[in-house]
Amino acid sequence: MQTSQAAPSPQMLDEKKKTVRRPIWVKLRPTYPFIVILALWQVAAMQAQGNQGRLFPTVDAIVYRAWELVTAPLFRALAENPNLGLIDQFLKLLESPILLHTIHTAWRLPFAFFIAAVVGTIVGIMMGRFAFWEAFFVPLLSVLLPIPAIAWTPIVVIWAGIGDQTVIVITAFASFLPIAMAVWTGVKTVNPVWIRAAQSMNADKMTIFRTVVLPGSLPMILSGLRIGLARAWRAGVGAEAFAGIRWGLSAGIFDAQEYLDIAFMMVALSVLGFFGFFLEKVLFQPIESRTVIRWGMMEAMGAQDKKV
Amino acid sequence: MVTKISIQNLRKIYDTPERRVHALEGVNLNIEDGEFVCLVGLSGCGKTTLLNMLAGFVEITSGTITMDDKPLTQDYDKGVVFQEYALFPWRTARQNVEYGLEIRNVPEEERRKIAVEFLRIVRLEEFADFFPHNLSGGMRQRVAVARAMAFDPQVLLMDEPFGALDAQTREELQELTVDVWQKTKKTILYVTHNLSEAVYLGSRIVVFVPNPGRIREIVRVDIPRPRDDLAPEFIKLQRHVNDLIRDF
Repeated sequence: MQTSQAAPSPQMLDEKKKTVRRPIWVKLRPTYPFIVILALWQVAAMQAQGNQGRLFPTVDAIVYRAWELVTAPLFRALAENPNLGLIDQFLKLLESPILLHTIHTAWRLPFAFFIAAVVGTIVGIMMGRFAFWEAFFVPLLSVLLPIPAIAWTPIVVIWAGIGDQTVIVITAFASFLPIAMAVWTGVKTVNPVWIRAAQSMNADKMTIFRTVVLPGSLPMILSGLRIGLARAWRAGVGAEAFAGIRWGLSAGIFDAQEYLDIAFMMVALSVLGFFGFFLEKVLFQPIESRTVIRWGMMEAMGAQDKKV
Repeated sequence: MVTKISIQNLRKIYDTPERRVHALEGVNLNIEDGEFVCLVGLSGCGKTTLLNMLAGFVEITSGTITMDDKPLTQDYDKGVVFQEYALFPWRTARQNVEYGLEIRNVPEEERRKIAVEFLRIVRLEEFADFFPHNLSGGMRQRVAVARAMAFDPQVLLMDEPFGALDAQTREELQELTVDVWQKTKKTILYVTHNLSEAVYLGSRIVVFVPNPGRIREIVRVDIPRPRDDLAPEFIKLQRHVNDLIRDF
């Protein structure tokens, strides 16, 4: 008997999906809220006069300030020496304060997150595998998880001093906790049928762990890493401000408060927002679409594509 | 015929906090090499417990199971097909079939050849590189059958493998199972609550009754294959098994 049910034939699936051409205004939909907010901002800012105006700059003033922040050292140098070489011009561009702030945040945060991801995954796996470590870590994590990591900053500053190390410790600690919890949950909740199937084929414990438990808990591990990254972001940005360091986007924002430099704050905040968005797009989405989404494991977790 | 599996005075007691469950009592059964044995009965009659003992998932309370006259070890080669979809979603159909061969350290090239061969037996060779979630329920169970057989196990244990499928697909897979059994001459133990399925598939049907779970009768099916489930003798036998299950 041949297959008669409406199963997908390979030929059908091999064909390229027809790309539906969507009109431009549908494609641009995600930008609508920003346009609305910017428009409202502009209108409100234009009402503010005099001193008030300084505290509530218009959108164009903020954009100009952003330009100025990036190019000020370069233009200053060019004013002193009009015959500056191209390489020197580029180096001057790198001296712009907003760029320096960004670079400092941009290496500290992923570095701390990487440490947290490695340690958190190892601890989570130990908890999922060994009853002793589960009993050891669960109470500890349960007590630590509700404490906002930022509250540890003063202690860490006293112990570790003012500097990158303090921010890194706080950031890594903040994101380690949810990662360990998620990995633990993921390892514990792997579909038991998969494990029995592997057992029935005489796979030993270590092989089952490597070939079934790890890939089987990948959806949970990835979502744990994502939560961890979000918490690292929050804690890291907070710690930068409170640890009293010079460079870093939020350190810059708190500095700018002293000078009432609203435009600088808005520019730095936008960079922070873009940064987080970029990490999500570049780091998580490709991994997910190549693994758990390709394997249909997100649908199994209840994710849905359609609106109800 | 040679006796493949011999079960003597098998007993299984579960102790739950509320009460003691007598899952199996005094089970004696000899299964011959290459036989297709169906285990039927109402739920709670111990048929799945027996299968799980043979698969090594459940410990024996007392009694013995021997295979080829030797006590059953945990790690003998058995292929198990589950009722739930037990394929690994992160492996393609072919990689799933290769799993048991990987465990046995079969070289990659040979592994691939064997896997494709078994996918051909279950008529899915052109779906070898599909992930399970792109396959229909019936196709997934066919891959599961191929996976359970690819490493050449001594017995095939099937626990209501087609219970979740629609009637047409189930019939198709029953036919395929008989075909595979005739080609490979494997010993198959097949748990089902579907009596028509049992009469269609089995060379013998072991009828279980509950409280405590025990064997009521073993029915030999002498209807020549391929069997017609509307033939009078088929229906007569099915009714007989049905009476055995219910009136005790």
